[in-house]
Amino acid sequence: MSRREGSLDPQADSSVSLLPHLEAKIRQTHSLAHLLTKYAEQLLQEYVQHQGDPFGLPGFSPPRLPVAGLSAPAPSQAGLPLPERLRLDAAALAALPPMLDAVRRRQAELNPHAPRLLRHLEDAARQARALGAAVETVLAALGAAARGPRPEPPAAATAAGVFPAKVLGLRVCGLYRDWVSRTEGDLSQLVPGGPA
Amino acid sequence: MDIYLCSKRPSWLVDNRRMRTTSDFQWLLSAFVLLYLMNHVNSQRKETPYDLKCTTNNLQTWDCSWKAPSEAGHGTLSEFCIDNRSRSCYQLARTNIEIPALSRGDHEITIRSLQDAGSSTSKFILNEKNISLIPDTPEILNLSADFSTSTLHVKWNDKGSVYPRHSNVIWEIKILRKKSMELVKLVTHNTTLNGKDAVHHWSWVSDLPLECATHYVGIRCYVDNLLFSGHKEWSDWSPVKNVSWTPASQPKVFPQDKVILVGSDITFCCVSQEKVLSAQIGSTYCPLIHLDGENVAIKIRNISVSDSSGTNVVFMIEDNVCGTVVFAGYPPDTPQKLNCETHDLKEIICSWNPGRPTGLVGPRNTSYTLFEGFSGKYVRFKRVEVSTNESYHQLLFQMVPNQEIYNFTLYARNPLGRSQSTILVNITEKVYPHTPTSFKVKDINSTAVILSWHLPGSFAKINLLCQIEIKKINSVQELRNVTIKGVENSSYRIAVGKLNPYTVYTFRIRCSTETFWKWSKWSNKKQHLTTEAIPSKGPDTWREWSSDGKNLIIYWKSSAFRQLTKPQNKSSFREDFSRQPQLRLILWLFNHIEPKSCYVQNDLQTEQAVGMGKGILLTWHHDPNMTCDYVIKWCNSSRSEPCLMDWRKVPSNSTEALIQSDQFRPGVRYNFFLYGCRNQGYQLLRSIIGYIEELAPIVAPNFTVEDTSADSILVKWEDIPVEELRGFLRGYLFYFEKGERDTSKMRDLESGRSDIKVKNITDISQKTLRIADLQGKTSYHLVLRAYTDGGMGPEKSMFVVTKENSVGLIIAILIPVAVAVIVGVVTSILCYRKREWIKETFYPDIPNPENCKALQFQKSVCEGSGALKTLEMNPCTPNNVEVLETRSTFPKIEDTEIISPVAECPEDSSDAEPENHVVVSYCPPIIEEEIPNPAGDEAGGTSQVIYIDVQSMYQPQAKPEEEHEKDPGGGAGYKPQMHLPINATVEDIAAEDDLDKTAGYRPQANVNTWNLVSPDSPRSTDSNSEIVSFGSPCSINSRQFLIPPKDEDSPQSNGGGWSFTNFFQNKPND
Repeated sequence: MSRREGSLDPQADSSVSLLPHLEAKIRQTHSLAHLLTKYAEQLLQEYVQHQGDPFGLPGFSPPRLPVAGLSAPAPSQAGLPLPERLRLDAAALAALPPMLDAVRRRQAELNPHAPRLLRHLEDAARQARALGAAVETVLAALGAAARGPRPEPPAAATAAGVFPAKVLGLRVCGLYRDWVSRTEGDLSQLVPGGPA
Repeated sequence: MDIYLCSKRPSWLVDNRRMRTTSDFQWLLSAFVLLYLMNHVNSQRKETPYDLKCTTNNLQTWDCSWKAPSEAGHGTLSEFCIDNRSRSCYQLARTNIEIPALSRGDHEITIRSLQDAGSSTSKFILNEKNISLIPDTPEILNLSADFSTSTLHVKWNDKGSVYPRHSNVIWEIKILRKKSMELVKLVTHNTTLNGKDAVHHWSWVSDLPLECATHYVGIRCYVDNLLFSGHKEWSDWSPVKNVSWTPASQPKVFPQDKVILVGSDITFCCVSQEKVLSAQIGSTYCPLIHLDGENVAIKIRNISVSDSSGTNVVFMIEDNVCGTVVFAGYPPDTPQKLNCETHDLKEIICSWNPGRPTGLVGPRNTSYTLFEGFSGKYVRFKRVEVSTNESYHQLLFQMVPNQEIYNFTLYARNPLGRSQSTILVNITEKVYPHTPTSFKVKDINSTAVILSWHLPGSFAKINLLCQIEIKKINSVQELRNVTIKGVENSSYRIAVGKLNPYTVYTFRIRCSTETFWKWSKWSNKKQHLTTEAIPSKGPDTWREWSSDGKNLIIYWKSSAFRQLTKPQNKSSFREDFSRQPQLRLILWLFNHIEPKSCYVQNDLQTEQAVGMGKGILLTWHHDPNMTCDYVIKWCNSSRSEPCLMDWRKVPSNSTEALIQSDQFRPGVRYNFFLYGCRNQGYQLLRSIIGYIEELAPIVAPNFTVEDTSADSILVKWEDIPVEELRGFLRGYLFYFEKGERDTSKMRDLESGRSDIKVKNITDISQKTLRIADLQGKTSYHLVLRAYTDGGMGPEKSMFVVTKENSVGLIIAILIPVAVAVIVGVVTSILCYRKREWIKETFYPDIPNPENCKALQFQKSVCEGSGALKTLEMNPCTPNNVEVLETRSTFPKIEDTEIISPVAECPEDSSDAEPENHVVVSYCPPIIEEEIPNPAGDEAGGTSQVIYIDVQSMYQPQAKPEEEHEKDPGGGAGYKPQMHLPINATVEDIAAEDDLDKTAGYRPQANVNTWNLVSPDSPRSTDSNSEIVSFGSPCSINSRQFLIPPKDEDSPQSNGGGWSFTNFFQNKPND
């Protein structure tokens, strides 16, 4: 991984030494992100499993439609400073829970007999919220907290039909996975001994 | 129309010059005339008004039109006259007229064309039948579309007010699709006209979503008035109206989220501005049906039930995907097993089985509504999508005060249909009480307790039926039903009696109503120990004297056996078992026990009995003296005395008892003792040993061989211990066969092999067995096994070798010796008593020359005629002489055979009659000088002399040479009759008398007295040997034994080398 810019990059500035409790917090948040990355992948697989064919069939890839209030991690953001990237991570993680809740509600109608999927969707919303809060805590500890009040999370995206709802749910689960993975990668930059 | 009119014209268009005929029979003629006239009219039509046609669209007015003559110009006036009751004419500047509908029947119409050059007139017969009813073209008032249901709604006005009469109207509606206006549906719709304008509606559901293509609708009608006799025709089609959908920029699939019945057909379309590449339902690709523009459709036939989240229908567009979800399921099944009951008479619970799954979930799932008919109340079923295998649904309905009868209807509905089920219940008869709670037990006394419990519900107006389960340890549970009146406070109490004191009970309770419907569930169990009470009777006791007679053993029955030993000098004692709360026992009736009653009667015999299964049946005769009861005690016979397993008391009037015990085991011997009770005590009546079930012995009898002889074996065995016998011994089976230890084949004793001898010994007191008739010095394999009624025991085997048969050997020796001695003695006696005869015969004082064989003639002579021959003194060659001698020192010539090489007499010549005078050439004996020094050996002579005793005749093995050596005296050769050597041998002194008799001349034997010897005598086989056998003096072939006087003394009688063992060696084995 290439060295990223950022004033808080511990490898970039050897004079900065993280406090033990901050280091522990970073490690803890990174571990949470790492754990949630696995969970998000499992959630995506389970979601696809319950939508019926051709979801999950090889070759079927619905277009990645834009989701109101949440964009996908853009490759162009790689050049942003690490605090900015973490702020984007936190914002995305804060926007995901209502979307995941909406997906869960829709899936409760479509798959009422899939309690594990519903529970995982519920857990994902809660975990996204927790991870976002943890990232914000790290940012605050690093003195890079978001300025101003946090914007209200966007209204949950809804779809008119069942099929668009399925596609939307798939998209939301994919975004959840992408943002959690991206957060893990960003946090790893802060972890002492992590990749530069 | 022209054709129609032409075809109709002959019927109603008639030339004015034609005379109408009314006669039917002239019809044919009229037809010809008519044809003529038609031609004439056609030729004249151009000159007069013609082609009058009338139609109507409302049955009230007729629109008539005609064609003016060819020469008439525009604006030519015409006069149209109707000739009916009042002739009415109309001046017209046109060629059509609307006239009121004429009455039924023919009406003459005259049309005169008023031209400048003159007038031309045409007459027509007008009838209603010639009028065409052509309704006005209908108009669609409104065409609307319900895109969600793909339904077209058509609205139009029937304009019924223009029709004076009731009429039926047939509307024909056509549905056209796509811009090419392909006809997809043509339907008819019937209405009636009632004199007023009416707007009609018609709906049609399209199989193709209306969004997919433009749909056009047109309509026409047909008025079917029954009173109108004219021709009826369809109206013209109305102008078509269409419905279309404005597509959005994004492609979209229709229908969206459709719920359809499993097995039906459905068409999906994709409205797109871009080209659709493919379409699939689930994972199955479908062929595309191209519609207008880039729109495509797919048709799905016989769709199968969908998954929970529906069946995805996806259209692949370049760089995009659009799709929809279809939910294929079933309408709700009729609710099954609808049942309504109450737990507490406050709330009614109605439950049902939804029946066949609909395959629809979520918002498409079946919704239920429970409606009560009398009160008009209803409740809706709120689904909780948690249980996946929920087979029953239920709804709660609050009871209406003072209402007992409820009429429930359960409605089920889903997007595909609805169903319902009804039940009428008297709720007081459908009470399923809650489970009793707070169940408690309290003592009243030692035999009664109070049970209390809580049962929620408004049961104040009804009675409850409760069931109490009472269970005692190691006892069968008892159920008691009690009816109690319901109370408001839900607390109930009841007393339960008839319990045993100081006993642990387990109680539980359940309840129902008096009008039984269901028992509640059982309450929790409650264990309770009743209080103690005074014992009502003593224990069941028994007693035994110890084996030394010094102690009395008391037994009694409680939860387990207890045993006390009481010294005899004590009359009673008391022992407290307070440490064992379940047994408090005082024994105090020891003085009533009479030890003497335990004595066994001397004449009592032990009987045997075998039981069946786990029990044994003992029977006895009724004894009126037994006034108390009978006691049967039993014990394991292998136990040491006194033994007691158990006892049982039976009433005195009983004569049998089936003794059963879990302690009984098969193959174990038990002793049963039957005691009878009378006033003075117990008396032993019977002693029985028995088995519950007999088994085969587990060991073989231990047996040994006591004695062995040459032909018998004495076997002795021991008893099998009772513990190992496992049944009553019924006998032994003894097997034996010849065989060595390693070669015996006595493996399968039960196969009945013939070479195995079996002795069944049923006398079980017998402990020995002698096996006789065996062979000596033979190995025998012996097997012994015992058996009971339970089967054969194992076997024990032994190998024994019999001794050699010495008695037989001795007998075999003694018998021949005795026979030889007897023969010798008899021979000696006979010889002694017949010595004179022998002397006369063999050694006469004066030999008879005729008997001299040496004087016999040559053979050829002898064979001649029987005539007497004279003695011819011819010189002859000396013959050999054989002399039989005894051991006498005196040479004794017993027989002399003169063998002449020249002449030999046949054997039968010796049979010559004494009277036959045979001339025998006499040849003086010449001593053959074979031994050069005869004086040197007295025993040897010039002649070969062989001494043969009697026994040697039966001993082919005998060697004459040995005898010759042993008896030197016997070796004397020929002794001249007149010159006999005298030997003073001591051993022959005893033959002094014979010596005297043989001294001097020895006469030749008398031929008549000689016996012929069979040619097959033992010696006859040696006729060719060097030593020629002796024979009769008169025959060289005859042999005669001359028994020496002292043959019995011959040492060769034993026959050296001959063994008596050989004599018996051919004895058969057995």
